[in-house]
Order: sequence, then C-alpha cells, then structure tokens
Amino acid sequence: MALTWPEKPTLIGTRITRLDGLAKASGKAKYPSDMLPEGTLFAVMLYSPHAHAKIKKLDISTAQSMPGVKGVVAIAQEGATLRYHGDDIAAVAAVTEEQARDAVRAIKIEYEVLPHVVTEAQAMAPGAPEIVKGGNVRKGRSQDNGKTGEAFAKAEVVVEGKYSLPVITHVCLEPHGLTAKWETADKLTVWSSTQAVQVVAQELADSFQIPVANITVLTEVMGGGFGSKFGADVWGRTAAELAKSTGKPVKLFLDRVQEHLAAGNRPSAAGTIKLGATKDGKLVGLIADTHGTGGSRGGSNFPLPYVYDVPASSRVHSEVFVNGGGARAMRAPGHPQGCALMEAAMDDLAEKLGVDPIEFRLKNLKPDDFHTPIYEAEVKIGADLIGWREKRKPRGQNGDGPIRRGFGLALHQWGGGGTLDKKVSCTISADGTVELKSATQDIGTAARTVLAIIAAEVLGLKPTDVISNIGNSTFPPGQASGGSTTTPSMAPPCLDAATKARDALFAKIAPALGATPADLSLQGGKLLIQGKPSISWKEACRKLGTASVSEIGSAVEGLASTGVGGCQFAEVTVDVETGVVRVKKIVAVQDSGLIIDRLTWDSQVYGGVIMGLNYGLFEERIMDPGTGVMLNPDMELYKLAGASDIPEIVIHAYEPDEQKARGVIGIGEPPTIATAAAIGNAVSNAIGVRVTEWPMTPRNVLNALAAASKEGKA
Amino acid sequence: MRKHDPKNGDEPGGPSRRDFLRGSGLAAASAVLTGTAATALDEAKAAEEGPKVLSGEVEITLKINGEDRKTTVEPRSTLLDTLRNRLDVTGPKRVCDRASCGACTVIADGDPVYSCTTLAVTCEGKKIETLEGFETGEHGVPHAFHQNDALMCGYCTPGFVTACKALLDKNPNPTLDEVRRGLDGNICRCGTYVGVLQAALDAAKAMKGA
Ligand code: FES
Ligand code: FES
Repeated sequence: MALTWPEKPTLIGTRITRLDGLAKASGKAKYPSDMLPEGTLFAVMLYSPHAHAKIKKLDISTAQSMPGVKGVVAIAQEGATLRYHGDDIAAVAAVTEEQARDAVRAIKIEYEVLPHVVTEAQAMAPGAPEIVKGGNVRKGRSQDNGKTGEAFAKAEVVVEGKYSLPVITHVCLEPHGLTAKWETADKLTVWSSTQAVQVVAQELADSFQIPVANITVLTEVMGGGFGSKFGADVWGRTAAELAKSTGKPVKLFLDRVQEHLAAGNRPSAAGTIKLGATKDGKLVGLIADTHGTGGSRGGSNFPLPYVYDVPASSRVHSEVFVNGGGARAMRAPGHPQGCALMEAAMDDLAEKLGVDPIEFRLKNLKPDDFHTPIYEAEVKIGADLIGWREKRKPRGQNGDGPIRRGFGLALHQWGGGGTLDKKVSCTISADGTVELKSATQDIGTAARTVLAIIAAEVLGLKPTDVISNIGNSTFPPGQASGGSTTTPSMAPPCLDAATKARDALFAKIAPALGATPADLSLQGGKLLIQGKPSISWKEACRKLGTASVSEIGSAVEGLASTGVGGCQFAEVTVDVETGVVRVKKIVAVQDSGLIIDRLTWDSQVYGGVIMGLNYGLFEERIMDPGTGVMLNPDMELYKLAGASDIPEIVIHAYEPDEQKARGVIGIGEPPTIATAAAIGNAVSNAIGVRVTEWPMTPRNVLNALAAASKEGKA
Repeated sequence: MRKHDPKNGDEPGGPSRRDFLRGSGLAAASAVLTGTAATALDEAKAAEEGPKVLSGEVEITLKINGEDRKTTVEPRSTLLDTLRNRLDVTGPKRVCDRASCGACTVIADGDPVYSCTTLAVTCEGKKIETLEGFETGEHGVPHAFHQNDALMCGYCTPGFVTACKALLDKNPNPTLDEVRRGLDGNICRCGTYVGVLQAALDAAKAMKGA
C-alpha cells in the first residue's frame, strides 16, 4: 500500500511546543557561537575600511609578535584589490579575544585607494569609474512574451511608474562563523552557525582536500540565517586553517559591522513599469525596464510580471555593479521585490481605472492556474478580516486632517516543495527509546520538533518520547534549510522511516504475542492487538530482547507538493505633516498544504509578516557616496521593529480538506513576500499619492507629497 | 546602559527607546536625559570615593547566579565577554555588542543591564543574575516563552526572557503596553514578538501562582 499521511491524525496539525524550546528559553541550548572546547583560541577578522583599494603593502609581522597571538593569516595578498567596505583582508588568532583585536589593529597596510561607486546612481552616472570590466551596468536579455506593441495599442488605460526598493541585510542575530577543532591531522570537527551542515562539510573537505567523511559539522541549534548561511565562507575556512596551524581549536565569528558589510544582503530593485488595461479592467500588457544591485557580483534579478495574467509583456533587467558586499539569497529571494513593483503598478492602474483594487486583481488572475480559486477564496477572507468593504475609502478620500488612514493589499506566490533524495533513520530500542537522525538542521522552523511529531504520530507516542537528532553532517543526508523546502523534504522520509520501523517492530514481536503483525497497532503509548489495548509501548519494545530495529526512510511521491500563494492586507495611518507611517493591522491569509505543527506554523507566518513589515517601513543599507562606506552597519541606525512597533496581526491558514491532501509544502518564505507591497499600497491609499521609494520612511513619504504638490496633485 | 531606571521608570504611555532612536519621539529625550543625569550622579559619587586605576590583567570575583566565580580579565573586558569567553556562561548572547539589541541582557543588582556595554571590573560585589539561574518550572518566565512558542531561532530569547523577568520583578501586573515598553530594548529578527508579548502576560500570571 502506498504510504499516505494519516487520515485522522492526533498530533499532526495540532499545536505542539518545541522539543528544544525550554532549552532555548532558559539559556541552556548551546549555539555554535557558544562552543568553547578546551584551549580554544579567539580569532578576529580584519576587513577593508575602503570601498575600493589596492593593497600596496601588507605587514603582519608586528601582529605576529603581539602578546597572546598564536596565528596570523593574510587572506588578501599584496597587490590584491579590495572591492568593498568589509572585504576580507586577514585574521588573527590569540589566547583572548581582546588580544586578537589588538593584533588585528597592529596589522600594517598601505592602501592605494581607488575610485569607487557605492550607490546605483553613482554606478550608472555617465563617466562613472568602471569597477568591473565591461561597465558597471550590464543589460540582460529582454524577456518577451507576446507582442506588447499591439497590446498597448489596445490599451485604454495606461500607467507608467517608477518604483524602488533598497538593499537590505539579513541581520541574523547569531553572527556568521564557526569553531574548528582538528581531532587528528585529517579529521575535523566544526561547530558552525549554518543552515546547511552538509554543504559546510563539503566545502571544508574541498578546501582541505580531505574526505568529507572525516569532517563533522555540528549545528545543534543556530541563530538565524534567512538565506545567508549556506556555506563555510572565507572566515570559516580561515578559522579551520588557523586551527590547523596553531594546533588549537579556533573560534571565529564575525562582528556586527562585518555582518552587515560582508555576510550577504537582499539586492535592491528599481524600475519603470508600464502597465495597460482595457476599460473593463483586463490587463493587456506590461513593459518593464528594471535594475538592481547585488554588489560586485550581481544577482539582482526578480520575477516580473508577478502573479497576474499579463497577455503580453516585455522586460529588460540590468545588473548594476557597485562596491558593496555581495547579494545572498534572502527569505523568498526576488519575490518581495517583484511583488512590490508589480503590486504598486497594479494598484496605480486600478486607481486610474476607478475600480476596487480587489476586483481588479481578481479579474486578472490566471484563468487556468490551479491556484486561482485559492486566491479568490483567500482574498475574500482577508478582505473580511481587515474590514475592507466597511472601512476602506478610495485613494485620497481619507479626510483633510493630518492623520490619514489607508488600506492596501498584495498577493504573492512561492514554490516550496521538497527534494526526493533526503533520508531519515528511525531506531527503536528495546528500552522503548525512539531515535530519529538526519543531517538537516533547525534554522528556527522547529525542524527537530516536526520530525518528532511525525514519528510520534506513527508510533502512538508523544513527541517528547522521541529523540530527534539533527544538526550533524554525518547523519543520513538531510535538506539545507532554505527555499521553504526543509519540511517538505524531510517530513516524507521521516514518515517512511517511522512506518518501516514500526512494521519491523511488529514483525519481530508479533510471534511472542501470539499475534500476526497485521493484528498490531499503536495508540496512546500502548500496543493494541486487534484494536484492544494490551501492553505498554515500553513493554512491547522489551520484547525485542537485546536487539533494536533501525530503518532508513526515503522520500515517497505524493506526500509533499509545491506551489503556494497568499494575500496580505495592511491598514496604516500616515501623518502627512511628519511623514510618519504607523501600521495598525496586517491580515495574512496563506495556504501551505498539510500543516504539521500549527503552533510553529503560526510563528513562521507572524515572523514572515514582521520581516516584511521591517522591509516596508524601516530597513535600508545606507552607503555614503563620498567615502564609500556603509553608514549604518549596526543595530541602532539599521532599524528593525521592536515590540512597540508590532501592529495587530491576524493570520489565517487557508486549509480546507483539499489543502491537506496536497501534502507538506513549506511555509518559511511565502508570508514575508507581500507585506511591504501591501503597506506601500495602504500608504498611497491613505495620502492620495504614490510613495515610489521603499521603505515608507518619513523622508520618502514627505518627498512623495512634495513632488505631488509641485505637480499640483496634492 | 540601564534600560529601566528604577527611579524614573519606563512609564506606560511614554515613548519607546526605538521611537527615540528614529527621531520620531521627541518627548523621549527628557527620559533619556534624566537617565543620563542619574548615571552622572553615580559617577560623581564614585569619583568622590577616590579613583582606582586598573591596568593589565585583573583578578576579579563575580557573583553569578549566587555563585562566586573568580577569573582574570582586562579592565576593558566587558561583562558579556567575561561571562561568555572566560566563565562559559553563554546564556547571554553577543549580537550587536553596542547596547542596541538586548540579547546580552543580565540582571545586575535587580536592574536589567546590557552586559555588552558594562565593564566586568565594575561588577565586583554586584549580584549578577543570568537566565540560566531562572526557575524553569511552570511558574517561571522560560516556561511561558516555551508554551507560547515565543522563540524561533532563539538567539534573541535569552535577552527577552531576562528583560521580561526583570520587568515582572518590578511590575508584577503589567499591562500589554507596559510589557511592550519593558521589552523595547530588545530586538528579534525572526519576529516572534506576538508570542513574546503573550508569554510576558502569561508569566506575570504564573509567577503569582508560585
Ligand atoms: S549585544 Fe548587548 S545590546 Fe546587543
Ligand atoms: S527568535 Fe530568532 S532572533 Fe528572535
């Protein structure tokens, strides 16, 4: 019989607290950055103070002779070019961290400072210094679908707008880094703050040319990654190198400044979008000229058109190179940008057409997409929850007082889904212990708990009866925590492993019970024979004698799927005198297939919304065009919401029975996508003019109002 | 450094620290200035007692969670680094290292302080509490955080739990607004605030049952 999710689960879909929650809340959980094996040296990085420079002289000799210093490595060599403020130069390992910091300061460097471009405006300006061969702006191939010329000839209403979103950084609270300890000359253990233990192991195996089996990467818990912690990174390899040369464990974690500068960012997005429709509100075409910067290596593209059915579109995206830290995947890469630009243009077009933004969107969903009826249902739920029909007024009709209230919405989509090559092992011992193992890790999504819930469901136990062992690269292959793929990749093999282990247990103990395996079942911590409770789980396992059963589970088709969507609504107030935007309420309606743990599902959705709220209101990497340095690489001026900034958030899981039948899909990313877009639309609704630049800061709001009043619009 | 001045309090309805940082809460300036004045007075008093010059390696004893812990620090060593790097007390986390995020919060003589900007040598003789010493049963703050899933990656959690405990020790019956203000010196990147606020309210109830 094909493996399926239990039809009447007792645990799956309920609210179950995390297995490691109390350890985290009482300070007992040890994070990679907490690990201090005996004799550990502290390593500190030296990074570029310049946006663009050549190293003329690099002298580490003084640093080497400083008190406590055990090792110094130059990462960049004389003659090398530093490409951004924060680029890696060298690292020092010393007995105390204070000594390591002193030694880093004693590294003598002569720079030849080169001209820089750190903002897109600088990079794109005529005559700008070329920081990459071939020019700072690289135009991509045009992505065309249909004939936009003909389409726009049919268009009766057209809007053309310019919108932009800044570069933002991940700000994982636990910095990037690892502690490395060589057990022997070719055996390495590292405690790494990573969302991919096996990727880190492979990367280190490659750089030290040792078998990956000789490397153990441990990540019991980790303090956030959001897409920026897939690899060992330069600093991780450097720590391992210093550990090798000093013969001591070495701990190297970035400081907060370098976290912002070098540990990744979400690229910016900007562009001119022209969108046309017929009078009855059907989209006919889109022409977009967009650009963005992913630093000195690119990677700023994003999906456009987004969500909606656009019969003809033509789009060119240009990559702008700047002297800035490189882009890395960040929670739903590309989607928050594509969503914001598309949804802003959609809203502006609905406005010009004079139709309700909800109606306009519903009219332009893809007719043959399985997701269209889901969106239709979700939008209806969301509109009710925010009070759209009663409270929302058309754009600009929100009174004359200084405080204006506005409502906005946006739709999003995401893939999720699992890979088919991951494994989980399940071992049942004679003492009743159940142990799961897989080389996946928990980025905060409760991976450990999710696996335990599944095994407990199958075995009729409580999740706390299951030992859920993850975060070790030597365990059976596990999924990297990214792309909302962890749960859909790991849940099916876990179900398979627990089911196989249960069947193996039944096969072994049935004879001793005078029953056949088919007579046996498990429920509420008891073994049932032909449906009647007989002995406890522990007694049943004892019948294994000294043996144990151990099974490896693999992915099974049909237990996971892909493709989710959702909508979000925002209610804001804007003070038109100060430009201050306050978000009052956000409604998020989201489908995600089968939900394993409703409690942690809720947390993910709340968290996604709040990350989106930060994107919508506060976050931006601010580069100083004059000096080329980042002006806010801290947590003071790089603004993130605190407790008082959190509005009322209403979340709704769209989960009729057919959603459960889809299997597990993954929820980490989708709920962060539409928030900034919805907030932007709500602000425009409140004040009557489009704020074209995110975040919705007082400056950007006041600029928009000033520009509109110059044009006589407001 | 001091998040809640016991004398002036973080009055409900007052502006939050983060409002002030954004420059959108002018009224906050007065609260901050009063805090600064209090600190200045403390410093003046210390000066009267005569300066003590410390340099090189200094042996100190810190009373952490009721236990005397001896270690060697430099005068510039922060309390946070001393706890984490020298005493293996790793509950408090280093995140911003600059008094902006709250992850390193510990309770010193009853007040929550950012240990990343507190020098270890100034803590001799003080009662330092870190969350490792908190009651983990049903009547404790950690339990309420666990039950409300008020943590995801959990890296900000020690700071939130500690700030919450300090708040409830002073104000056992906080309103939601007071909880928000009491925790405004802490930042969570995963966005677990909804659970955190509920956990604080639940913990207030549970602690009374203790
Ligand atoms: S680490 Fe001390 S406040 Fe952030
Ligand atoms: S739970 Fe991850 S930062 Fe708060």
